[in-house]
Amino acid sequence: MDAVTQRHPAAQWALPALVAGGAALSCAVLALVDPNERGNYPLCPFLALTGKWCPGCGSLRGVRALLYGDPVAAVSLNPLMVLAIPYVLYTYLAWASERVGGPVLRRICLPATAIWRLLALVGAFWVARNIPAAPFSWLAP
Amino acid sequence: MSTTPPSGQPPDEPDQTGGQGWSTPPPGSWSTAPPPAQPPYGGGYGQPTSGQPGYGYPGQGPVGAPPPNHLVWAILTTVFCCLPFGIPSIVFAAQVNGKWAAGDVAGAQRSSDMAKKWAIASAATGLVVIVGYFALIAIGIAGGMQSGQF
Repeated sequence: MDAVTQRHPAAQWALPALVAGGAALSCAVLALVDPNERGNYPLCPFLALTGKWCPGCGSLRGVRALLYGDPVAAVSLNPLMVLAIPYVLYTYLAWASERVGGPVLRRICLPATAIWRLLALVGAFWVARNIPAAPFSWLAP
Repeated sequence: MSTTPPSGQPPDEPDQTGGQGWSTPPPGSWSTAPPPAQPPYGGGYGQPTSGQPGYGYPGQGPVGAPPPNHLVWAILTTVFCCLPFGIPSIVFAAQVNGKWAAGDVAGAQRSSDMAKKWAIASAATGLVVIVGYFALIAIGIAGGMQSGQF
């Protein structure tokens, strides 16, 4: 009695396909247009306004590094982004699979304490990567 | 993400025991509507959850799956949108699971709705920034072409 399975098959596939296509297109653009050159992409609004790195700064260059097979560079640009990718991919797969009636994948459901710890991690990362001293500055992109 | 029909109520308690890093809910738990408080073994449908024997103490948290916390959007915003909008999204995501575990079904649903609003707001803002940026470049190029400067 799931409403998803009652929808037209094309409609079930449309949204997951759109998301996958959008991601693939973004990766293609990122591979072709180099984010290491200033001006190719908009600057992070937070960085533009404050001159400080945000927790997401370095992600475009990091994803490009991953696309070119350089995970070390990706981690040095933004370790949070590298950590997030498996979670994001798995969440997409579980959602898409459920939508199109494929195999049921267990959803990752973090307990509240884990999400609060994640928030603390993001905050600490945000502050640390803006400290211009040796061990912390390695976290800057 | 917006079209999330209610799915079968899994016949067990949510994993809100805390402490362990990853807990897996029963499959098919993408439900937006808080499931009615029905006794275990109720639906007959839903997947067997034999993989988690030790979790789900009776009387702890409501039965079924919590409302969606949209955490993946919070993470996407934090890491890819380059906007600090991700922070409130993470807060509301944590509130969803925390309130649910405490038995506050209505509060969990409110936090879920707020998490969704922040997800939409941040995605829209990111899109506006990117599209606006490239639109400005396109206008700039067009303006340059008109004045003979390529």
